Amino acid sequence: MSENKTSLWQRYLSANPVTMSFLAIFLGFVVGAAVIIFSSSDVLHAWTQIFNSPGAILHAIKVTLDNVGAAYRAMFTGSVFDPTILWHALTTGQDWTAALTPISETLTYAAPLVIISIGVAISFETGLFNIGANGQAILGGIAGTAFGSMIHLPMFIHLPLTLACGVAAGAFYGFIPGVLKALTGAHEVIVTLMLNYVVAFFLLYSLLSTPLQLPGQVNDLSRVILPSAQLPNFFATATTLRVSWGILIAIGVVAFGWWFLNRSTLGFDFRITGANPNAARASGINPKKIIMYVFLISGGLAGLAGVVQVDGTTHSLDGGFLIGSAGIGFTAITVSLLGRNKPINVFWGAILFSALGVGGRIMQAETGIPLDLATIIQSAVVLFVATPVMVQEIFRLREGTLHTVELNTKGWSS
Amino acid sequence: MELVSTLVTPDVVIRRDTPAGRTRVIGAIMSLMALFIFWVFALGATSKASSIITFNPLNTSGGAPWHLASLTLPSRVSALVLAIIALAAGIETIVRVPASRVMARFGFVSILFLLGLFVWTVRSSGPSPTNFIDITDVLVNASGITMVLIFGSMSGIMCERAGVVNIAIEGQFLGGAFIGAIVASSTNSFVLATFAGAAVGALLGWVLAFFAVRYRSDQVIVGVVLVTMIASLTNFLNLTFLTPFQQYNTGVTPSSIPIPLLDKIPIIGPLLFNQDMFFYMMYVLVAGMSFALFKTKWGLRVRAVGEHPQAAATVGIRVKGVRYFNVILGGAIGGIGGVAFIALHGQFNPGFTSGLGYIALAAVIFGRWRPSGAVVASIIFGLTSMLASGLQSFDVPVSSEILGMFPYIITIAVVSGLIGRVRAPAADGIPYKQD
Repeated sequence: MSENKTSLWQRYLSANPVTMSFLAIFLGFVVGAAVIIFSSSDVLHAWTQIFNSPGAILHAIKVTLDNVGAAYRAMFTGSVFDPTILWHALTTGQDWTAALTPISETLTYAAPLVIISIGVAISFETGLFNIGANGQAILGGIAGTAFGSMIHLPMFIHLPLTLACGVAAGAFYGFIPGVLKALTGAHEVIVTLMLNYVVAFFLLYSLLSTPLQLPGQVNDLSRVILPSAQLPNFFATATTLRVSWGILIAIGVVAFGWWFLNRSTLGFDFRITGANPNAARASGINPKKIIMYVFLISGGLAGLAGVVQVDGTTHSLDGGFLIGSAGIGFTAITVSLLGRNKPINVFWGAILFSALGVGGRIMQAETGIPLDLATIIQSAVVLFVATPVMVQEIFRLREGTLHTVELNTKGWSS
Repeated sequence: MELVSTLVTPDVVIRRDTPAGRTRVIGAIMSLMALFIFWVFALGATSKASSIITFNPLNTSGGAPWHLASLTLPSRVSALVLAIIALAAGIETIVRVPASRVMARFGFVSILFLLGLFVWTVRSSGPSPTNFIDITDVLVNASGITMVLIFGSMSGIMCERAGVVNIAIEGQFLGGAFIGAIVASSTNSFVLATFAGAAVGALLGWVLAFFAVRYRSDQVIVGVVLVTMIASLTNFLNLTFLTPFQQYNTGVTPSSIPIPLLDKIPIIGPLLFNQDMFFYMMYVLVAGMSFALFKTKWGLRVRAVGEHPQAAATVGIRVKGVRYFNVILGGAIGGIGGVAFIALHGQFNPGFTSGLGYIALAAVIFGRWRPSGAVVASIIFGLTSMLASGLQSFDVPVSSEILGMFPYIITIAVVSGLIGRVRAPAADGIPYKQD
């Protein structure tokens, strides 16, 4: 980095948003590596031996790199592609299914995550914090499954109505915190968090004590969505490639999100309210109306995500639907922060985080390192994204157009 | 300090705690509860049904209190009386619109409601296999969860009075519980476990302060991310460490320490004076915090930092220093809460705090950022949580999943219906920038 070269390279080294995102992701992986190192008895044992023999320190470094490397290699080959299998497919023209499976899995997980993250990003852009996306998605999934499995209709109407059911249920569940905040001032963070727990119980209830339960089943399993309501697979011939038309819906939602936030009147009102509520009120925007609309739209998208997940991938519900290690709604919060609430960036963020999740499962299978590592990496990434000044200090970057994550939750009484 | 004392809103001001409209709404809710007692609990019992209420704990291993005879009540008449009293309180609130103590009235009606529920549940030839309920046992069962909530809400108050929102209470619980399980299992000493839990909690508090104070990140984001991170980290370590080495998660629980003579008082004795060390620690904590925050110079400074940091800085208070100190202290309290939780449950299970930290946060808001208020809120939430699990053993005709929703729904109802717009410390959640 010499002084006279004020070139593209220097601009990359300044603290611009793209560089900062990549550095945050890098730091997230560093944190993950640290967790692997401190939890692996092999590695720790190797480091306690370094004073025993001269070559031991090299051995310790090698063991460390082997362990971390194996974990991250498994993550990559499990979620993007395995170079040897891909090479085999390219040279022989066979086994394309195996070569495409990882990326197909990533896109399968990405479809609902993209949709729900766009919903969360819209609420963030308005300065509202929708932590309840997880519950809204679960309710959307329940409604979609109920409609898709218990009502018989021809496909051209059944599938759209199933998806619409999910959207309606999610919007309804999002509307509760919205209307409570608008009318009574109840803080949306607490209400949405509590609603997440309520819906978790409701999921169990509907799987155990309602007609939604699979007939003849005592466990928490639902009926299977009828073929006329299922989202078809993208590759009809290769059934192991699970990616469905849901990913196209996700891309459509990204386009909708972009249009909504950047081109629509309501979206403009949303962003004004988020940027400066007082100015918004002064210019005649009714904040109560905005709050309710935000939660309707955000919840509707979350519900769509839930129904896409069940309709495109699992086709039925169980007691652990979308709850997972951290829950899709929480991942969505991290994704939309990573993408700084811009729909197109959110899309890439969702792809990255689904790759981490899918790769994490392969890593767990191959190396025995728990899947929770993926969540740890994700939360570390967001911590760094939310703290750009620190990343800038760590890498000694020049001041750039530093876009901090503007959320400004504005305390409790707002 | 004269200037500072004018900055901090005096807490004893003659003002209407609750706006008149909301007071009427609360009165209406109280009347509805009264009608519910009448319709369901009174009319739901046959005229001959009777309910027995006993006062002696079933488990008397810690020494039985002085005997108190059990009470046999006619179910329908008792519920009717309760309904009338509750209705009177509700109508009084609507008509007179009292300027203060609305919440006290509401709490009173809630207790009546609870009693009505008990009478109805255990009525003879009712759905329950037994026709008696043991009030002491009910309260003792609720006391554990209440204690953990009080620890959590004290942690929240400590941070928020200094102007930092602590959403990470749940993470501090989990971190404290995890380390508490390991230390308690390996050393069999809950004193050491408490120190370890406090240390982990303080570390998490420091992380929160580091991001929130030093880098002025959004405190809600940092808090939520910390919870996610600690939840997955404890899951991770549970699988990699506690599962293979089960001797570090044996599920030891501390023994109760009866206080001589006081523990012999019926009901109150087993409830308040025959508990484990964490319960007594909680007394000291609540009393100490109430005193320190509102009666000492230190408390005045903390509240000044939470209300108006710029002005506090003008009179020479180190705003960032105060915030760091309080958030770390609050984290330590939350960590001890986690150890108290493990002392209740024995073994560590991933994610087993199931949102308790967030309920503690709601208790902070419900209690209007005062220790005494948070204690009342914690008792309400503790009782509802106990009901969710306790009523299942009484075979009420409601499925256990629906009962499980209760604590959360009541939290929402309380936060929206009763509290509504609250006045948080003015600078709560707003990063302080030194100019």
